[in-house]
Amino acid sequence: MQAQQKPGIHRGVSTYCWYPLYNVNMDLEDSFMIMQDMGAHGLEILADGIIKGYPYPSKEWLNKWFALCDHYEIVPVEYGHWVESKLFRGRESTVEESLEQLIHDIKLASYMGFTCMRTKLGVIDGKLTPTLIWRDVIRKALPYAEKYNVVMQPEIHSPTRLTDQMIMDYVEFIEKEDTQFFGFNVDFGTFQNKPTPGRELPPGFKMNPSLPEDIIPLLPYIHCCHAKYYNMSEDFDETTIPYVEIINIMKEHGWNGYLLSEYEGPNKESYNHCMTQVRRHHVMLKRLLGE
Amino acid sequence: MLEYEGVQYKGFRNLYNEDGEAIGFQVGIRLITYRGAWLSQFRFAYVEVDGEKYRADRCTFVVSGVEYTYEETFTLGRVKWPLDEAMIIRVKKPGGLSQGNHTVSALYGEVASYIPGDAGEIDETRTSHGHSEAIGFTREMIIV
Repeated sequence: MQAQQKPGIHRGVSTYCWYPLYNVNMDLEDSFMIMQDMGAHGLEILADGIIKGYPYPSKEWLNKWFALCDHYEIVPVEYGHWVESKLFRGRESTVEESLEQLIHDIKLASYMGFTCMRTKLGVIDGKLTPTLIWRDVIRKALPYAEKYNVVMQPEIHSPTRLTDQMIMDYVEFIEKEDTQFFGFNVDFGTFQNKPTPGRELPPGFKMNPSLPEDIIPLLPYIHCCHAKYYNMSEDFDETTIPYVEIINIMKEHGWNGYLLSEYEGPNKESYNHCMTQVRRHHVMLKRLLGE
Repeated sequence: MLEYEGVQYKGFRNLYNEDGEAIGFQVGIRLITYRGAWLSQFRFAYVEVDGEKYRADRCTFVVSGVEYTYEETFTLGRVKWPLDEAMIIRVKKPGGLSQGNHTVSALYGEVASYIPGDAGEIDETRTSHGHSEAIGFTREMIIV
Protein backbone atom coordinates (compact mmCIF):
# COMPACT_ATOMS: atom_id res chain seq x y z
CA MET A 1 0.00 0.00 0.00
CA GLN A 2 1.53 3.24 -1.18
CA ALA A 3 0.19 5.37 1.68
CA GLN A 4 1.76 3.03 4.23
CA GLN A 5 5.12 2.57 2.46
CA LYS A 6 7.21 4.54 4.91
CA PRO A 7 6.57 4.06 8.62
CA GLY A 8 5.78 7.10 10.71
CA ILE A 9 3.36 9.97 10.67
CA HIS A 10 2.98 11.89 7.42
CA ARG A 11 1.25 15.10 6.50
CA GLY A 12 -1.49 15.67 4.01
CA VAL A 13 -4.48 17.83 3.16
CA SER A 14 -8.16 17.23 2.60
CA THR A 15 -9.78 19.16 -0.24
CA TYR A 16 -12.44 20.05 2.32
CA CYS A 17 -10.08 22.90 3.21
CA TRP A 18 -10.83 24.63 -0.09
CA TYR A 19 -14.49 23.87 -0.54
CA PRO A 20 -16.16 27.23 -0.90
CA LEU A 21 -13.34 28.45 -3.14
CA TYR A 22 -12.87 25.36 -5.29
CA ASN A 23 -14.24 25.88 -8.83
CA VAL A 24 -14.38 29.61 -8.05
CA ASN A 25 -10.76 30.69 -7.94
CA MET A 26 -8.85 27.41 -7.79
CA ASP A 27 -8.87 23.99 -9.37
CA LEU A 28 -7.24 20.60 -8.80
CA GLU A 29 -3.81 21.64 -10.05
CA ASP A 30 -3.86 24.75 -7.84
CA SER A 31 -4.59 22.65 -4.78
CA PHE A 32 -1.73 20.28 -5.68
CA MET A 33 0.65 23.23 -6.03
CA ILE A 34 -0.30 24.44 -2.54
CA MET A 35 0.37 20.97 -1.13
CA GLN A 36 3.73 20.78 -2.88
CA ASP A 37 4.67 24.18 -1.41
CA MET A 38 4.03 22.79 2.07
CA GLY A 39 5.64 19.40 1.50
CA ALA A 40 2.29 17.85 2.39
CA HIS A 41 2.03 14.95 -0.02
CA GLY A 42 -0.96 13.01 1.32
CA LEU A 43 -4.30 13.80 -0.25
CA GLU A 44 -7.90 13.31 0.73
CA ILE A 45 -10.43 14.17 -1.93
CA LEU A 46 -14.15 14.52 -1.48
CA ALA A 47 -14.76 12.39 -4.53
CA ASP A 48 -18.09 13.83 -5.51
CA GLY A 49 -16.86 17.42 -5.63
CA ILE A 50 -13.42 16.76 -7.11
CA ILE A 51 -13.86 14.06 -9.76
CA LYS A 52 -15.15 15.69 -12.92
CA GLY A 53 -18.17 13.73 -14.06
CA TYR A 54 -18.47 11.78 -10.78
CA PRO A 55 -19.33 8.93 -10.44
CA TYR A 56 -18.31 8.19 -14.03
CA PRO A 57 -15.19 10.23 -14.84
CA SER A 58 -13.89 10.20 -18.39
CA LYS A 59 -10.68 8.43 -19.30
CA GLU A 60 -9.30 11.83 -20.26
CA TRP A 61 -9.95 13.20 -16.77
CA LEU A 62 -8.42 10.12 -15.13
CA ASN A 63 -5.30 10.43 -17.27
CA LYS A 64 -4.99 14.05 -16.18
CA TRP A 65 -5.41 12.93 -12.56
CA PHE A 66 -2.54 10.46 -12.78
CA ALA A 67 -0.31 12.99 -14.54
CA LEU A 68 -0.96 15.68 -11.91
CA CYS A 69 -0.40 13.26 -9.00
CA ASP A 70 2.87 12.22 -10.58
CA HIS A 71 4.05 15.72 -11.34
CA TYR A 72 3.22 17.21 -7.92
CA GLU A 73 4.27 14.11 -5.91
CA ILE A 74 0.79 13.60 -4.52
CA VAL A 75 0.00 10.41 -2.61
CA PRO A 76 -3.71 9.56 -2.90
CA VAL A 77 -4.56 8.56 0.67
CA GLU A 78 -8.24 8.85 1.35
CA TYR A 79 -11.24 8.91 -0.96
CA GLY A 80 -14.15 10.64 0.76
CA HIS A 81 -17.54 9.34 -0.23
CA TRP A 82 -21.07 8.95 1.06
CA VAL A 83 -23.46 6.04 1.29
CA GLU A 84 -26.78 7.82 0.91
CA SER A 85 -29.57 6.45 3.06
CA LYS A 86 -31.96 9.33 2.34
CA LEU A 87 -31.69 9.11 -1.42
CA PHE A 88 -35.42 8.97 -2.08
CA ARG A 89 -38.34 10.71 -0.45
CA GLY A 90 -40.24 8.78 2.18
CA ARG A 91 -38.01 5.73 2.57
CA GLU A 92 -34.53 4.65 3.53
CA SER A 93 -32.20 3.12 0.95
CA THR A 94 -32.11 -0.67 0.89
CA VAL A 95 -28.99 -2.77 1.51
CA GLU A 96 -28.76 -3.37 -2.25
CA GLU A 97 -29.02 0.35 -3.10
CA SER A 98 -26.40 1.17 -0.49
CA LEU A 99 -24.06 -1.53 -1.78
CA GLU A 100 -24.42 -0.32 -5.35
CA GLN A 101 -23.08 3.11 -4.33
CA LEU A 102 -20.39 1.68 -2.09
CA ILE A 103 -18.99 -0.94 -4.47
CA HIS A 104 -18.73 1.58 -7.29
CA ASP A 105 -16.78 3.93 -5.02
CA ILE A 106 -14.48 1.11 -3.85
CA LYS A 107 -13.56 0.31 -7.45
CA LEU A 108 -13.08 3.93 -8.47
CA ALA A 109 -11.04 4.77 -5.34
CA SER A 110 -8.77 1.81 -5.97
CA TYR A 111 -8.28 2.67 -9.62
CA MET A 112 -7.34 6.24 -8.69
CA GLY A 113 -4.66 4.93 -6.33
CA PHE A 114 -6.32 5.49 -2.95
CA THR A 115 -5.66 3.11 -0.07
CA CYS A 116 -8.36 4.35 2.34
CA MET A 117 -11.89 5.58 2.05
CA ARG A 118 -13.79 7.92 4.34
CA THR A 119 -17.02 5.99 4.20
CA LYS A 120 -19.78 8.29 5.41
CA LEU A 121 -22.85 6.35 6.42
CA GLY A 122 -26.32 7.82 6.78
CA VAL A 123 -27.36 8.63 10.34
CA ILE A 124 -30.61 8.18 12.22
CA ASP A 125 -30.25 10.57 15.17
CA GLY A 126 -28.43 13.58 16.61
CA LYS A 127 -25.77 11.35 18.15
CA LEU A 128 -24.85 10.36 14.57
CA THR A 129 -25.83 6.71 15.09
CA PRO A 130 -25.45 5.02 11.68
CA THR A 131 -28.38 3.47 9.83
CA LEU A 132 -29.46 0.15 11.32
CA ILE A 133 -28.42 -1.77 8.18
CA TRP A 134 -24.76 -0.67 8.39
CA ARG A 135 -23.41 -4.06 9.47
CA ASP A 136 -25.12 -5.82 6.60
CA VAL A 137 -23.92 -3.24 4.07
CA ILE A 138 -20.30 -3.21 5.27
CA ARG A 139 -20.12 -7.00 5.65
CA LYS A 140 -21.24 -7.48 2.06
CA ALA A 141 -18.78 -4.82 0.84
CA LEU A 142 -15.77 -6.33 2.66
CA PRO A 143 -14.86 -8.82 -0.10
CA TYR A 144 -14.73 -5.91 -2.58
CA ALA A 145 -12.62 -3.77 -0.24
CA GLU A 146 -10.24 -6.71 0.13
CA LYS A 147 -10.09 -7.44 -3.58
CA TYR A 148 -9.47 -3.77 -4.43
CA ASN A 149 -7.22 -3.21 -1.41
CA VAL A 150 -8.90 -0.17 0.14
CA VAL A 151 -9.90 0.27 3.77
CA MET A 152 -13.41 1.59 4.50
CA GLN A 153 -13.40 4.02 7.40
CA PRO A 154 -16.29 5.84 9.01
CA GLU A 155 -15.23 9.25 10.26
CA ILE A 156 -15.52 9.64 14.03
CA HIS A 157 -16.73 13.20 14.24
CA SER A 158 -17.87 15.49 17.05
CA PRO A 159 -20.29 15.23 18.85
CA THR A 160 -19.35 11.51 18.79
CA ARG A 161 -16.67 10.72 21.37
CA LEU A 162 -14.09 7.97 21.17
CA THR A 163 -15.59 6.29 24.23
CA ASP A 164 -19.17 6.18 22.88
CA GLN A 165 -21.06 2.93 22.34
CA MET A 166 -20.93 3.45 18.56
CA ILE A 167 -17.14 3.08 18.64
CA MET A 168 -17.42 -0.08 20.74
CA ASP A 169 -19.87 -1.44 18.15
CA TYR A 170 -17.42 -0.73 15.30
CA VAL A 171 -14.53 -2.38 17.18
CA GLU A 172 -16.67 -5.42 17.96
CA PHE A 173 -17.61 -5.67 14.28
CA ILE A 174 -13.97 -5.43 13.13
CA GLU A 175 -12.88 -8.14 15.57
CA LYS A 176 -15.82 -10.41 14.79
CA GLU A 177 -15.23 -10.13 11.05
CA ASP A 178 -11.46 -10.35 11.60
CA THR A 179 -10.91 -7.76 8.88
CA GLN A 180 -8.25 -5.17 8.10
CA PHE A 181 -10.53 -3.48 5.58
CA PHE A 182 -12.75 -1.60 7.99
CA GLY A 183 -11.39 0.97 10.44
CA PHE A 184 -11.70 4.58 11.55
CA ASN A 185 -10.81 8.07 10.56
CA VAL A 186 -10.65 10.02 13.82
CA ASP A 187 -11.53 13.66 13.31
CA PHE A 188 -9.54 15.71 15.82
CA GLY A 189 -12.60 17.89 16.43
CA THR A 190 -13.64 15.19 18.89
CA PHE A 191 -10.80 16.47 21.14
CA GLN A 192 -11.79 20.14 20.96
CA ASN A 193 -11.60 21.49 24.51
CA LYS A 194 -11.53 25.24 23.94
CA PRO A 195 -14.05 27.33 22.03
CA THR A 196 -13.43 28.62 18.53
CA PRO A 197 -13.17 32.42 18.77
CA GLY A 198 -16.41 34.04 17.71
CA ARG A 199 -18.40 30.82 17.74
CA GLU A 200 -20.79 29.06 20.08
CA LEU A 201 -19.49 26.02 21.91
CA PRO A 202 -19.84 22.88 19.78
CA PRO A 203 -22.11 20.05 21.02
CA GLY A 204 -19.17 17.70 21.66
CA PHE A 205 -17.53 20.32 23.86
CA LYS A 206 -20.65 20.68 25.99
CA MET A 207 -20.77 16.90 26.56
CA ASN A 208 -17.07 16.74 27.54
CA PRO A 209 -14.79 16.10 24.57
CA SER A 210 -12.70 12.98 23.96
CA LEU A 211 -9.41 12.94 25.85
CA PRO A 212 -6.16 12.49 23.92
CA GLU A 213 -5.48 9.14 25.64
CA ASP A 214 -8.88 7.82 24.48
CA ILE A 215 -7.27 7.25 21.07
CA ILE A 216 -4.73 4.69 22.34
CA PRO A 217 -6.85 1.50 22.14
CA LEU A 218 -8.17 2.55 18.73
CA LEU A 219 -4.80 3.25 17.05
CA PRO A 220 -4.54 -0.20 15.38
CA TYR A 221 -7.79 0.50 13.51
CA ILE A 222 -6.93 4.04 12.37
CA HIS A 223 -5.34 4.44 8.93
CA CYS A 224 -5.56 8.23 8.66
CA CYS A 225 -7.00 11.13 10.62
CA HIS A 226 -8.70 14.39 9.91
CA ALA A 227 -6.31 16.84 11.51
CA LYS A 228 -9.09 19.30 12.21
CA TYR A 229 -8.19 22.92 12.89
CA TYR A 230 -10.46 25.79 13.76
CA ASN A 231 -8.06 28.55 14.71
CA MET A 232 -4.33 28.72 13.96
CA SER A 233 -2.70 31.57 15.87
CA GLU A 234 0.03 33.82 14.52
CA ASP A 235 2.60 31.83 16.45
CA PHE A 236 1.49 28.57 14.82
CA ASP A 237 -0.60 27.11 17.62
CA GLU A 238 -4.02 25.51 17.19
CA THR A 239 -5.87 27.15 20.07
CA THR A 240 -8.89 24.82 20.43
CA ILE A 241 -7.50 21.25 20.19
CA PRO A 242 -4.73 19.72 22.39
CA TYR A 243 -2.44 18.88 19.45
CA VAL A 244 0.77 18.46 21.46
CA GLU A 245 -0.73 15.71 23.62
CA ILE A 246 -2.46 13.95 20.72
CA ILE A 247 0.61 13.89 18.45
CA ASN A 248 2.92 12.84 21.26
CA ILE A 249 0.64 9.89 22.09
CA MET A 250 0.51 8.84 18.45
CA LYS A 251 4.30 9.07 18.14
CA GLU A 252 4.91 7.18 21.38
CA HIS A 253 2.67 4.35 20.23
CA GLY A 254 4.35 4.11 16.84
CA TRP A 255 1.28 4.96 14.80
CA ASN A 256 1.78 4.98 11.03
CA GLY A 257 -0.41 6.96 8.71
CA TYR A 258 -1.44 10.34 7.40
CA LEU A 259 -2.73 13.41 9.18
CA LEU A 260 -4.99 15.19 6.71
CA SER A 261 -5.59 18.89 7.34
CA GLU A 262 -9.23 19.81 7.51
CA TYR A 263 -10.13 23.42 8.13
CA GLU A 264 -13.53 23.97 9.69
CA GLY A 265 -13.01 27.43 11.16
CA PRO A 266 -14.57 30.76 10.23
CA ASN A 267 -14.00 32.97 7.15
CA LYS A 268 -13.88 30.05 4.72
CA GLU A 269 -14.97 32.46 2.00
CA SER A 270 -11.64 34.29 2.28
CA TYR A 271 -8.89 32.82 0.10
CA ASN A 272 -6.16 34.67 2.00
CA HIS A 273 -7.50 33.51 5.35
CA CYS A 274 -7.75 29.85 4.30
CA MET A 275 -4.26 29.85 2.79
CA THR A 276 -2.79 31.49 5.89
CA GLN A 277 -4.53 29.00 8.16
CA VAL A 278 -3.42 25.90 6.22
CA ARG A 279 0.21 27.05 6.05
CA ARG A 280 0.23 27.83 9.76
CA HIS A 281 -1.24 24.38 10.39
CA HIS A 282 1.59 22.71 8.50
CA VAL A 283 4.24 24.78 10.28
CA MET A 284 2.78 23.43 13.53
CA LEU A 285 2.59 19.84 12.26
CA LYS A 286 6.17 19.92 10.96
CA ARG A 287 7.40 21.13 14.33
CA LEU A 288 5.37 18.55 16.28
CA LEU A 289 6.46 15.72 14.01
CA GLY A 290 10.10 16.80 14.11
CA GLU A 291 10.40 17.23 10.33
CA MET B 1 -15.42 28.76 -13.15
CA LEU B 2 -18.32 29.64 -10.89
CA GLU B 3 -19.01 32.84 -9.01
CA TYR B 4 -18.67 32.52 -5.23
CA GLU B 5 -22.28 33.46 -4.55
CA GLY B 6 -25.16 31.00 -4.46
CA VAL B 7 -27.11 33.06 -6.99
CA GLN B 8 -25.00 33.35 -10.13
CA TYR B 9 -24.96 36.57 -12.14
CA LYS B 10 -23.99 34.97 -15.43
CA GLY B 11 -26.99 33.42 -17.12
CA PHE B 12 -29.44 35.98 -15.68
CA ARG B 13 -31.69 37.15 -18.52
CA ASN B 14 -35.19 37.06 -19.94
CA LEU B 15 -36.48 34.15 -22.03
CA TYR B 16 -38.38 34.65 -25.29
CA ASN B 17 -40.65 32.55 -27.48
CA GLU B 18 -40.36 32.23 -31.26
CA ASP B 19 -42.42 35.39 -31.73
CA GLY B 20 -39.98 37.39 -29.67
CA GLU B 21 -42.29 37.74 -26.68
CA ALA B 22 -40.75 37.53 -23.23
CA ILE B 23 -42.24 34.50 -21.46
CA GLY B 24 -40.07 34.44 -18.37
CA PHE B 25 -36.54 34.67 -17.13
CA GLN B 26 -33.72 32.41 -16.01
CA VAL B 27 -31.17 32.52 -13.21
CA GLY B 28 -28.33 30.19 -12.21
CA ILE B 29 -27.62 28.81 -8.75
CA ARG B 30 -24.70 26.86 -7.36
CA LEU B 31 -24.13 24.70 -4.29
CA ILE B 32 -21.79 26.45 -1.84
CA THR B 33 -20.58 23.20 -0.37
CA TYR B 34 -18.13 20.38 -1.03
CA ARG B 35 -20.18 17.95 -3.07
CA GLY B 36 -22.79 17.94 -5.77
CA ALA B 37 -26.34 16.69 -5.27
CA TRP B 38 -28.17 13.70 -6.62
CA LEU B 39 -31.28 15.21 -8.19
CA SER B 40 -33.50 13.14 -5.90
CA GLN B 41 -31.89 14.97 -2.99
CA PHE B 42 -32.33 18.46 -4.44
CA ARG B 43 -34.78 20.60 -2.50
CA PHE B 44 -36.24 23.84 -3.82
CA ALA B 45 -38.51 26.40 -2.20
CA TYR B 46 -38.52 29.42 -4.51
CA VAL B 47 -36.77 32.06 -6.56
CA GLU B 48 -37.74 35.51 -5.32
CA VAL B 49 -37.50 38.68 -7.40
CA ASP B 50 -38.42 42.06 -5.90
CA GLY B 51 -40.55 40.37 -3.25
CA GLU B 52 -42.47 38.03 -5.58
CA LYS B 53 -41.85 34.31 -5.01
CA TYR B 54 -41.76 31.88 -7.94
CA ARG B 55 -42.25 28.35 -6.68
CA ALA B 56 -41.60 24.95 -8.26
CA ASP B 57 -44.88 24.93 -10.22
CA ARG B 58 -43.62 27.93 -12.25
CA CYS B 59 -40.05 26.72 -12.63
CA THR B 60 -38.04 24.13 -14.51
CA PHE B 61 -34.48 23.12 -13.68
CA VAL B 62 -31.67 22.65 -16.22
CA VAL B 63 -28.73 20.43 -15.28
CA SER B 64 -25.99 19.65 -17.81
CA GLY B 65 -28.28 20.93 -20.56
CA VAL B 66 -31.26 18.73 -19.64
CA GLU B 67 -34.46 20.36 -18.38
CA TYR B 68 -36.49 18.77 -15.56
CA THR B 69 -39.65 19.61 -13.67
CA TYR B 70 -39.29 19.51 -9.90
CA GLU B 71 -41.39 16.32 -9.73
CA GLU B 72 -39.15 14.64 -12.29
CA THR B 73 -36.13 15.17 -10.05
CA PHE B 74 -37.72 13.17 -7.20
CA THR B 75 -36.81 9.75 -8.62
CA LEU B 76 -33.45 10.64 -10.19
CA GLY B 77 -31.10 9.08 -7.63
CA ARG B 78 -28.38 8.46 -10.23
CA VAL B 79 -28.33 11.85 -11.96
CA LYS B 80 -25.93 14.36 -10.48
CA TRP B 81 -26.06 18.10 -10.25
CA PRO B 82 -22.27 18.49 -10.44
CA LEU B 83 -20.58 20.74 -7.89
CA ASP B 84 -18.75 22.64 -10.63
CA GLU B 85 -21.89 23.51 -12.55
CA ALA B 86 -24.59 26.14 -12.09
CA MET B 87 -28.14 24.85 -12.29
CA ILE B 88 -30.23 27.11 -14.48
CA ILE B 89 -33.74 27.77 -13.18
CA ARG B 90 -36.19 28.80 -15.89
CA VAL B 91 -39.13 30.76 -14.49
CA LYS B 92 -42.46 31.32 -16.24
CA LYS B 93 -43.42 34.99 -16.11
CA PRO B 94 -45.32 36.50 -19.04
CA GLY B 95 -43.55 39.68 -20.12
CA GLY B 96 -40.35 38.67 -18.30
CA LEU B 97 -38.54 40.98 -15.90
CA SER B 98 -38.35 44.70 -16.60
CA GLN B 99 -35.15 46.32 -17.78
CA GLY B 100 -33.11 47.59 -14.86
CA ASN B 101 -32.43 46.70 -11.22
CA HIS B 102 -33.81 43.65 -9.40
CA THR B 103 -33.27 42.04 -6.04
CA VAL B 104 -32.95 38.31 -6.69
CA SER B 105 -32.78 35.53 -4.13
CA ALA B 106 -33.23 31.78 -4.09
CA LEU B 107 -33.95 29.23 -1.38
CA TYR B 108 -32.78 25.70 -2.12
CA GLY B 109 -30.61 22.95 -0.71
CA GLU B 110 -29.77 19.28 -0.72
CA VAL B 111 -30.55 16.41 1.60
CA ALA B 112 -27.48 14.95 3.32
CA SER B 113 -27.92 11.46 4.78
CA TYR B 114 -25.03 11.94 7.21
CA ILE B 115 -26.62 14.98 8.84
CA PRO B 116 -29.44 14.36 11.34
CA GLY B 117 -32.94 15.39 10.35
CA ASP B 118 -35.64 14.31 7.96
CA ALA B 119 -35.46 14.48 4.19
CA GLY B 120 -38.52 16.68 3.71
CA GLU B 121 -38.94 20.02 2.02
CA ILE B 122 -36.98 23.09 3.11
CA ASP B 123 -38.13 24.70 6.33
CA GLU B 124 -38.81 28.24 5.09
CA THR B 125 -39.00 29.63 8.61
CA ARG B 126 -35.26 29.08 8.89
CA THR B 127 -32.92 31.42 7.07
CA SER B 128 -30.03 28.99 7.06
CA HIS B 129 -29.21 27.12 3.87
CA GLY B 130 -28.36 23.84 5.51
CA HIS B 131 -24.62 23.59 6.00
CA SER B 132 -23.81 26.21 3.38
CA GLU B 133 -22.83 29.67 4.45
CA ALA B 134 -25.69 32.07 3.90
CA ILE B 135 -23.68 34.27 1.56
CA GLY B 136 -24.80 35.40 -1.85
CA PHE B 137 -28.24 33.88 -1.81
CA THR B 138 -29.59 37.40 -2.38
CA ARG B 139 -28.05 39.64 -5.03
CA GLU B 140 -28.76 42.95 -6.70
CA MET B 141 -28.78 42.23 -10.43
CA ILE B 142 -29.58 44.06 -13.67
CA ILE B 143 -31.66 42.92 -16.62
CA VAL B 144 -30.40 44.40 -19.88
